[in-house]
Amino acid sequence: MLFVDQISVSLANTTILDRVEFRALPGEITAVIGPNGSGKSTLMRAMSGDIPYEGNIELNGHNIDTLQPWELATIRAVLPQKSVLAFSFTVSEVVNIGLCNGIGAESNKIIFDALSCVGLLGFSQRQYSELSGGEQQRVQLARVLAQVWKPQESVKPRWIFLDEPVSSLDIAHQIEVMNIAKDYAHSGGGVIAIMHDLNLTSMYADNIAILYQGKKLCQGKPQDVMTDEWLSRAYECDLRVNTSPHPPSMYILPHLAVSRSKSDQ
Amino acid sequence: MDSLSGYFQNTGVDDRVTSGRRAHKILLVALLLACLLSITIGPVDVSLWLVLQKLATGQSLTNLEHIIFLDIRLPRLITGICVGSALAVSGAVMQGLFRNPLADPGLVGVSAGAGVGAIIAIVMGGFLPVFINNFFGDYLIILSAFLGGWVSAIVLYRIATHNGQTSVATMLLAGIAIGAFAGAISGVLIYIADDKQLRDLTFWGLGSLASATWGKVMGAGPLILISIAIASTLGRGLNGLALGEATAAHIGISTQRLKNIAVCTVAAATGAAVAISGGIGFIGIVVPHLLRKTIGPDHRTLILNSGFLGAIILILSDMISRVITAPSELPIGIVTAVLGAPVFLWILLSKRNASVW
Amino acid sequence: MLQRCERVSLRVTMLKLAFCLALLTLNNAYADSYSSNSKRVVSIGGSVTEIVYALGEQNRLVARDSTSSYPVEATELPDVGYMRALSPEGVLSIGPGLIIAEEGSGPRETIDLLNEASIPFITIPDTFSREGIIAKVVAVGEALGVQTQAARLSKKINAELTAAEEKSRLYNGVRKKVLFILSTRGGKILASGQNTAADSIIKMAGGINAISEFSGYKPLSDESITVAAPDVIMMMDRGGDHVIANEKLFAKPSISTTPAAKTKSVIRMNGLYLLGFGPRTASAVGDLHTALYPE
Repeated sequence: MLFVDQISVSLANTTILDRVEFRALPGEITAVIGPNGSGKSTLMRAMSGDIPYEGNIELNGHNIDTLQPWELATIRAVLPQKSVLAFSFTVSEVVNIGLCNGIGAESNKIIFDALSCVGLLGFSQRQYSELSGGEQQRVQLARVLAQVWKPQESVKPRWIFLDEPVSSLDIAHQIEVMNIAKDYAHSGGGVIAIMHDLNLTSMYADNIAILYQGKKLCQGKPQDVMTDEWLSRAYECDLRVNTSPHPPSMYILPHLAVSRSKSDQ
Repeated sequence: MDSLSGYFQNTGVDDRVTSGRRAHKILLVALLLACLLSITIGPVDVSLWLVLQKLATGQSLTNLEHIIFLDIRLPRLITGICVGSALAVSGAVMQGLFRNPLADPGLVGVSAGAGVGAIIAIVMGGFLPVFINNFFGDYLIILSAFLGGWVSAIVLYRIATHNGQTSVATMLLAGIAIGAFAGAISGVLIYIADDKQLRDLTFWGLGSLASATWGKVMGAGPLILISIAIASTLGRGLNGLALGEATAAHIGISTQRLKNIAVCTVAAATGAAVAISGGIGFIGIVVPHLLRKTIGPDHRTLILNSGFLGAIILILSDMISRVITAPSELPIGIVTAVLGAPVFLWILLSKRNASVW
Repeated sequence: MLQRCERVSLRVTMLKLAFCLALLTLNNAYADSYSSNSKRVVSIGGSVTEIVYALGEQNRLVARDSTSSYPVEATELPDVGYMRALSPEGVLSIGPGLIIAEEGSGPRETIDLLNEASIPFITIPDTFSREGIIAKVVAVGEALGVQTQAARLSKKINAELTAAEEKSRLYNGVRKKVLFILSTRGGKILASGQNTAADSIIKMAGGINAISEFSGYKPLSDESITVAAPDVIMMMDRGGDHVIANEKLFAKPSISTTPAAKTKSVIRMNGLYLLGFGPRTASAVGDLHTALYPE
């Protein structure tokens, strides 16, 4: 389990996260949504161990502050929002970088499988820098998957943290990536995803937390959390949740294309 | 060159690691050949075969054979191996650390500091107590250069490290500042130097293996070899760093420890190399580039291969510098520049279409 | 007064000393005569090479260094490189029997290796004066085993130099201030202060070194040049970046204020001829004197 216990993050006298408490279970996709500036990225960075914070974060029962980087790396992998790469590595080399012991037949198999998973097997010898933004993002996902390839390692679940994983992808690939995340969760792994797209979130997330101005507004199952009230309050505009019967699903649309503050005038 | 790259590619997923390992073997053989060439070719006509026979049968060598092989060529060869590999490995590590293909060992402040150290020894040496001068003799300059390089690297590193985190961007800028400061100190010392001291300084700066002695080899050699051995373990870490510092930490690399070790090994290897051979340029930049183009940027094999190739190039450059204007000698810096600049240009031109190095 | 036994032991000690000294001298003499007969001589240093030729011993030369540019025949000999950056293997490849080198040759490691190879390496002291030149000639003569010719040559040089210096001393016009500029590279004017070869030759030719505040070659600030107010500027005339055309020289703001610029007085002479302090120095002094005081 991932347990974020009352963490606060401040930067230059500004409070970015204020005593946020948040839980995620393996076997399901937990999404974190909220408007820009709500602290989603900061929460992700704190959970990934990038920035200092007040409070506790526990992963699989260990306080992440007590774990060495290499120990953490065996439990969780992080897909950043934007990736950089220096030097002319090939696609398969990039995927290989994440592996702790990256040379050998077993590693080759994992890389092969990871690239198949994201649909880029034929790209293994291509130069990473020559790919499109979307293709590069999928290579990074393959790297992340390769790092924590077995979703369950001797009964302990492994985790993937995804920071806006589908922002640069076209819709077919968005669905593909979310399906991969769903498969990973259903195999026993844990998935935390910062999401921008509310509809995709409602389609795939099993558990959703909404952040607003550095605090957690609410957390729960989609049907409990994705309501007009919560969403409109968080996003400061009039949002309506609609349901469609075939297939049974929610879709969220803005009621009027103006923000609430303007409509109050 | 395309067919050469093709030779190194096969269909496996980690083909470039394989080609990197294959390159180890090829370069090692090439290094042995270069050593053989360098020790047999020279202005004086002595036969290596004859010397080996004599050694094998227990005969004693003539004075000339002894001096040429054991006192001139052999220490020069070993110095060339040490200095060439030190500069190339330092270049590869620096480029990985700064994620910039133009980084060179001098960036960490070592060359500037070593230069100041040498100048201080040359100009102020006379003010030291006599027993120090007698004890160290000519090694005073070497020791001083090495210490200068170290002090400079430490100062630089401290400036760039805050709260246990080292910012490579700050290191770059601090390097410029320290370089300027070192230049100012050097300027003052040059001003008060007399002619002989100035000439000594010029020759130290030009870079040469001509003054290679067993003493220098014994002093600098082990330090360089240990540094290279440690640097070659940084391969996976530097690969990770290529994805950015945050991601490198996510995949389990202790980035601060990596930076500490990288800077230490570069300071030690470059400091020792510059101290015994003066300033020799181009090797640190051109060798890793050449290798990246043929076997790829994977640091796990790049670092050691850079060491081999750097040694080969410096040995061959030294051989050329001894022979081409015999009986006089061309400064080795000129040879490495003449060899290095066209190669560098060729790399630039062929990479014009690529967006990334 | 010493007791008898003390006198005996003293005598014995002195005999031993004398015997040792004799051995040493004989040894040295033997070594000297062994090497001083050598037909494979390498001369290092422009003035040393000039002296070898002046002594008529050039047939014994097998190589020279890069500063040995006079006479022209010398440049046809193999060049072992710059005198302060000699390569040991390069020198050994000539198969020398004797090396005569101007003071300051090196580096140390090369000299050590040549000593190890048992090749006699004779250092010739280099002082910028008439006595210094004589000493050079004597030392080279000693090294080559031609002391008689050396004595003759040094007598000739002594006479010529004395005459030249006398002429300079007798000049009763206003002495001119001379600024010797070594280079203007990089915008810095590198000039000669006291105790350099240039300083000595200026004085021998009857001029005054415009710079008296420091020793050696140092860059001058613009104000110092104006204060120094040289009447004449002296430079070496070899090609390359040390040479700057007269117009450009006088255009420099610091120089344009000097009396030298107003009268456009520049003297250029060959570096080795002017500053080498060898057999031609007397003539160089004369030429410089004439150039300074044409009347």
